[in-house]
Amino acid sequence: MKWFGALLIVFTLTWLGYEWSKKLEQRPQLIRVLKSSLQILEAEIVYSQASIMEACHNISQQIPSPVSGFFRQVAQQLKHEPISLYDIWDKETDRFCHSVFLSSEEKEIMKQFGRTLGQHDIVQQQKYIQLALTHLDRKLKEAEDMNYRYGKMVKSLGLLAGLFLAILLL
Amino acid sequence: MIGDTSILFQIAGIGIIVAMIHTILKQMGKEEYAQFVSLVGFIIVLLFVLNSISDLFQEIRSVFFYKG
Amino acid sequence: MSMEIFEVVSIGVIASVLVLLLKDKQPAIAYLLIVLTVLYFFLFVIQYVKEVLQLVVFLGEKANIHSAYIQTILQIIGISYVAEIGANIVKDAGLDSIAVKIELIGKVFILILAIPIFKSLIETIINIFPIT
Repeated sequence: MKWFGALLIVFTLTWLGYEWSKKLEQRPQLIRVLKSSLQILEAEIVYSQASIMEACHNISQQIPSPVSGFFRQVAQQLKHEPISLYDIWDKETDRFCHSVFLSSEEKEIMKQFGRTLGQHDIVQQQKYIQLALTHLDRKLKEAEDMNYRYGKMVKSLGLLAGLFLAILLL
Repeated sequence: MIGDTSILFQIAGIGIIVAMIHTILKQMGKEEYAQFVSLVGFIIVLLFVLNSISDLFQEIRSVFFYKG
Repeated sequence: MSMEIFEVVSIGVIASVLVLLLKDKQPAIAYLLIVLTVLYFFLFVIQYVKEVLQLVVFLGEKANIHSAYIQTILQIIGISYVAEIGANIVKDAGLDSIAVKIELIGKVFILILAIPIFKSLIETIINIFPIT
């Protein structure tokens, strides 16, 4: 019974560390997808001159899962209750960042970007998209660095903390 | 006859794991956390030792210094 | 008795191996491990010391010695035992100077405890050979 409990503690903390490292791994991927989605948005606005709703719909079909849901939600909300774009964008960004592992800095970048969306002409809009992309680039580098530095550490730290606790309580 | 000696292994295990955590944290450049972990491990072991010292002193008092 | 020595030796060997393992990474914890081992040994040997002391008390009662004297002797042995433990532990940390001071203080206390016995001894002698 004692050994079973010890094993449970070790297993749980190892799993926690593993989960944490997975989050660290996920973050740069998410930022990369966000970046590519902004690039698609830029192309939609500058070349196809599509409306935000169509653009969001198109983006949601071109990019992988967690981020595509965000754009689909924005497109649907715009379709059903066309209140101000910024409110919808703000709300959806909040919900999106809550459901995945993104820091508040990325959230702030996306919100800042949403505030500019649909306020300017095409050239200005392109500049704002470029600005957001640069910000995201910086964050991407940061997230990759963090993943590289702490990804392995967190995993082994989880296992060691589990062993430590198990020995302590044995 | 001699009491429970598994505590020796327990403390050695704590020491080894603390040393490993210390090494890992140090490699990742988190000196202050490494120092903190070392301190926590030391304090935990110190608690074990204090317990043992109090046991021994109690025993000595009952053997040598009884008032009878 | 002859079996216990194996236990003591094996615990000593295991403890020294574990200390060697920890010494260069965590010297403080290694030192605490040494302290714990020493404490275990003293805790172990005190059981046998107890038997010897019971014999001393028994003999004293048989010989009709005043119980205060027996108690003083016991206390003296106790002080020397505790001082020895402390000095040993401190010496293990490499602080020989503090160990010497602990031993010195133990000796002084023993001397102080011995004063009443010494006094009564002198009184007895004076009673036997009265010096006017």
